[in-house]
Amino acid sequence: MKKKNNLRKPFFEELQQGNVEGEIILFQPLWVRIFHWGFALSLTGILLSGLELHKPAKFFAVSYGDMFKIHVISSWFALGFVALRCADAILRRDQSLIPKLRDLKLFPKLLAYYLFLRTAPPPNRKYNGGQSLVYSSWLLLFLIASLLGLSSYWQGEHLIWVWRLVGGFQRLRWIKFMITIYFLATIPLHIYLSMTENLSHLQAMVSGYERKPPPKKS
Amino acid sequence: MIETGTCTGDSISFDNIWTPTFSDILSNILDWRYDWSMNQAQGSAAYQVLLDTYSKLPNEYILIVQGSMIHSDSGHYDHVAYEQGKLITGIDLVRRIGLKAKYVVAIGSCAAFGGPVAGYPNPTRSTGVQDVLPERRVINVSGCPAHPDWIMGTLLHLALYGEPELEKYGRPKMFYGETIHNRCPRRYYYDQGIFATDIGQKECLYRVGCKGPVTYADCPIRRWNDRLNWPIGCNTPCIGCTEPGYPDLMSPFTVHSPDIPLPGGTKIATDSVALGVLGFTSAAIIGHAAASLYKGRIQRNLLKSTVRGKHRFSLTKVKTFHTYRVKKNAKKE
Repeated sequence: MKKKNNLRKPFFEELQQGNVEGEIILFQPLWVRIFHWGFALSLTGILLSGLELHKPAKFFAVSYGDMFKIHVISSWFALGFVALRCADAILRRDQSLIPKLRDLKLFPKLLAYYLFLRTAPPPNRKYNGGQSLVYSSWLLLFLIASLLGLSSYWQGEHLIWVWRLVGGFQRLRWIKFMITIYFLATIPLHIYLSMTENLSHLQAMVSGYERKPPPKKS
Repeated sequence: MIETGTCTGDSISFDNIWTPTFSDILSNILDWRYDWSMNQAQGSAAYQVLLDTYSKLPNEYILIVQGSMIHSDSGHYDHVAYEQGKLITGIDLVRRIGLKAKYVVAIGSCAAFGGPVAGYPNPTRSTGVQDVLPERRVINVSGCPAHPDWIMGTLLHLALYGEPELEKYGRPKMFYGETIHNRCPRRYYYDQGIFATDIGQKECLYRVGCKGPVTYADCPIRRWNDRLNWPIGCNTPCIGCTEPGYPDLMSPFTVHSPDIPLPGGTKIATDSVALGVLGFTSAAIIGHAAASLYKGRIQRNLLKSTVRGKHRFSLTKVKTFHTYRVKKNAKKE
C-alpha cells in the first residue's frame, strides 16, 4: 500500500515557525504553476514545429504530416492552458497580468535600472511594469496567432473575415512568423531576467512559495 | 470585353482554349460583341457595338473586364475610348457598362485584385474591378494569366446555370476551391520531408519558395497548354499568381515570406528581419549579463534572493524505502 508522504507538513511547519528570515508566502498558486509550465512546454512545441514547417532544416528529414500534427496538438494544448489561466484569474480576481497606468509610469525607471542608471528597481506589484507588459503582450499575440492559425487550418472555409482582414494567406503567414520572432526574442529575455534578478521568484514557480514580505495591497 | 490596364495576356491565354476551340466559341457558343483583340471593325464602328449592347440589352449582357482599374489622375493614365470628342477613362467605362450588366466578370489577376500593375509602389494607384463597382458582385477569375478553362467554364456556367458558387475572394469554387499544395503530385515528397535544394530538381519545391500551400487553383489536375504540363511539372515553384497581393506578397519567388517594403523604395527580406531581431536580443542579453557581472549586480541579486535560513534542514531516511521525515534533532545541529 502506498504510504502518505509525511515530509511536506512538518517542513512548512518549521518554515512558519520562524526558522528562516522573512515570511513564507504563497506567491504562485497551483493553477498558475500548471499554466506556466504547461504553456511553456506547448509553446516550445509550437515554435519549434512552426519554424520547421516554415523552413525545413537541411539536416532534419522528418515526416511533415507528423510535424504538422505536433504543431496543431501543441497549439490546442497551449490554448487550453491559456483558458485555464484566464479562468483562474477570473475566479481569484487576479489582475496581476493586466498592465496598469502605474506600471507604464514606472517603466522608464525600470528601464533605467536595467540600463544601470539606477541601483534599485522601482516598487512594483506582483510583476513589474516590464513583466506585465511582456506577459500581457504574449497573451494577446498568442490569441491573435491562434486565430490566424485556426483560419489557415480551416483553409478559408471558416473565419473568412480573418483572411479578408489581413489580406490573404501569405500576409497571414507573415504575421504569424513575426509573432514567432517576437516570442523567440522575448522568451530568452524572460529566462535571463528570472535567473539573474530574483531566484526566489523562479523557486516560487516550482514550489509555489517564496520567502519575502507579503505584497502590499493595492 | 473591356481592356484596361493590361498586357492582354488573358486574351492570349483564352485564344489557346481547347476544346471548344476559340472559333467554336465565337461562332457557335457565345455572342461575342466587343473585344479589342478580336474586333474586325475599328474606331467608332467597333465602339458603337459596345454602346448598342449597353443601350439595347440592359441586364442581359455579361461584362468581361481584363486589366486593372487605374485611378491616378482621375483615371486619365488609361484611356479606353473616344466618344463625342472626349477621351473616356477605363474606370468610367467599366462603371458605366458594369452597372447595367447582368454579370461582371474580372479575368486575370489585374482585373481581380490589381495584379502586377498594382505592384509596389503602385504609381498608378491600380485596383481590381470590385473597387470601382462596390454595389455589384464581381466574379473574379484570377491568374496571371487566367487559365482558358477557368474563363470559359465561368462564362458557360453563367450562361447555362447562373452564378457559380464563389469562394472567399469572389472566385468560382469549382476552380479555386482547393490549394495547389493539397492536390500537388509531389505532395508525398513534402509529407516525407524530402525537398529540392535547387529549382530544377524533382522533389518538393517548398524550400525553394513554392507558393502552392497558399495558392488556390486547380493547376495540378487541369494543367496548362492543353493539359500538357504546368510549372511544377517543369520543376519550377508555383509563384501564387491567382492570389490577392500577387506579385508583391509572393515575391521573391524563391523564398516563402514576402519582402518588407521600406520607405524609399527598398525592400528587406523577412528572414533578415528575423535574424536581425534575434541577433540584437542575443547581443543585448550577453552584454547585459557581462555588465551585470562586472558591476556585481548578479552576485548581489543572487545573495539577496537566496538568504540562508537560521538553520538548514536535514533529512534522514526512516523505516521504509521512500519515506522521509524531518530530523527531530535538526535544531541542535
